[in-house]
Amino acid sequence: MTGAWVTFQKELFSYCISPASWLIAVLFYFFRGFELMSKSVEFAAYQLDQDLYPTSTYGFTTTYLIVVLVPGILTMRAFAEERRTGSLETLVTAPVSDAAIVFGKWAAAVAFYLLLWLPTALLLLVLQADVFLGAGLAFGPVFAAYLGLCLWAAMLLAFGCFASSLTDNLLLAAILSMLFSAALLIGPFLLNLWLGAAAENYYVAELIRKLDVMANFRDWFSRGLIDTSQIAFYVGGTLFFLFLTTVSLQARRVA
Amino acid sequence: MISVRDLHKSFGVSTAVAGISFEVARGEVVGFLGPNGAGKTTTIRVLTCFHPASAGTATVAGFDVTRQSLQVRQQLGYLPENVPIYPDLRVCEYLRYRAALKGVPWRQRKVAVERAMAKAGVVEVQRKLCGHVSRGYRQRVGLADALVANPPILILDEPTSGLDPNQRRKIKALVRELAQEHTILFSSHILGEVQDVSSRVIVIHRGTIRADGPPAELVAKNTGRVLHVAVAGTPLQLQQALAEVPWCAGIPATDAGGGAVAMQVVLPAGSDPTAMVGERLLAAGLPVRELRLQMASLEEYFHQITEGRDREAAAPAAEDAA
Repeated sequence: MTGAWVTFQKELFSYCISPASWLIAVLFYFFRGFELMSKSVEFAAYQLDQDLYPTSTYGFTTTYLIVVLVPGILTMRAFAEERRTGSLETLVTAPVSDAAIVFGKWAAAVAFYLLLWLPTALLLLVLQADVFLGAGLAFGPVFAAYLGLCLWAAMLLAFGCFASSLTDNLLLAAILSMLFSAALLIGPFLLNLWLGAAAENYYVAELIRKLDVMANFRDWFSRGLIDTSQIAFYVGGTLFFLFLTTVSLQARRVA
Repeated sequence: MISVRDLHKSFGVSTAVAGISFEVARGEVVGFLGPNGAGKTTTIRVLTCFHPASAGTATVAGFDVTRQSLQVRQQLGYLPENVPIYPDLRVCEYLRYRAALKGVPWRQRKVAVERAMAKAGVVEVQRKLCGHVSRGYRQRVGLADALVANPPILILDEPTSGLDPNQRRKIKALVRELAQEHTILFSSHILGEVQDVSSRVIVIHRGTIRADGPPAELVAKNTGRVLHVAVAGTPLQLQQALAEVPWCAGIPATDAGGGAVAMQVVLPAGSDPTAMVGERLLAAGLPVRELRLQMASLEEYFHQITEGRDREAAAPAAEDAA
């Protein structure tokens, strides 16, 4: 575990001193703040009907944007940069296991991603202000939504690490990761269209529903509902991609 | 400390290393010599567990590189050819990170990093970003990294590559100093530095070992040499004095000016008639002006066993084809 912890510290430090990370943070907070302002106006207009207006309607577009774009940008350097500069050689010839390197890099990406989200908790205070809700927020749905976000991010960042381990081209690694994130969001919709009548079969419909990340958020996490099968889906996906990343890194050791 | 047995490494259809075997004993400094593309880096990468051998075995400090990779890496300090270091970290930060990654205990880390920086001579640039240090210092930072966990074995891949003569001299001095405490295998295609630093040379070419032994011995055993003789007298006197000395009979003597005559005798590898020539000249009463055995350089030897032999091998094949 020492190797993973050391890798985690170094990677997190690198994220914190990277100008790209700060640029992502600035753009994210700018658009998030702008969106919050427009949502406030919208909320004021519908205030009388707030009982009929479901919470999920206030889902932020920037959430989807940050979910699709940021994991790829954060993880593209993880292995592709090491491979490109040759530092992978010094890294993997140090007395530390490949799995520890992969875990440390992934954990650092998750930690930095969550750090990016942390200031959005301040928005909760704004929402509770008199000019907005004027009342305390239900903590359950907020907690569930953040938990869902963590699980989702963990899986996307694990895929990002895997994509980065496949190439020494940073752009390609980022694009692969973004395509995966986008596929998770719109994949079920496209599957429904493609399958047509076949999608009405109970089992097929159930499978598509389980894979529908957007629906998971709309129907479960943002309503404060936590389903163990969904947790298993995200945790399983994360472990699967971390495993693939380790295998990809170990492939060079195969004669 | 290092044992390689019938090691093969292929990448697809191309063979980089074709069945090499060698040993490096504790405390030895062995130069791994060969032209570019000879298979030096490939062999080193097998020894450092970066990639596996296609066939054969290799052990480092008694651990097998395939089955006990982690233990092997604990015994090694490795300087790769291009010294890839993270440009966004300061030198001291980078070395602290590497010390931690190599398992140096937290309490000893500060001392270990300071010792490695002092040994490698990077104390004055420790606050600089790795990306901002010169090529020479970059090489030294790589060496400090190899030294930071104080491993018994150092493997240095072209440690002087791309350095100017002054920087090369400093790195050579450093390697000589490190040889007192570590077993060192270092690769190079620069012959002079191998001759200066190592007690033994392994010459590799086209994936096979062409020679293995102390540099001077290899040169002496395997290459021709020239005996320079100059005496005060006439050409006839000199020829008569050496008429019965092997390889000297019938060699013409030439006027060297100032009343001296000289003779150059080309000798086969391993031969040395210097003592006999001296005795004959004394017996003939000829005042000796010069009696010098000129050895071939390692460079000539290297050229002979790589390019020369290839050319010899290619010539009959070309004749056969014709």
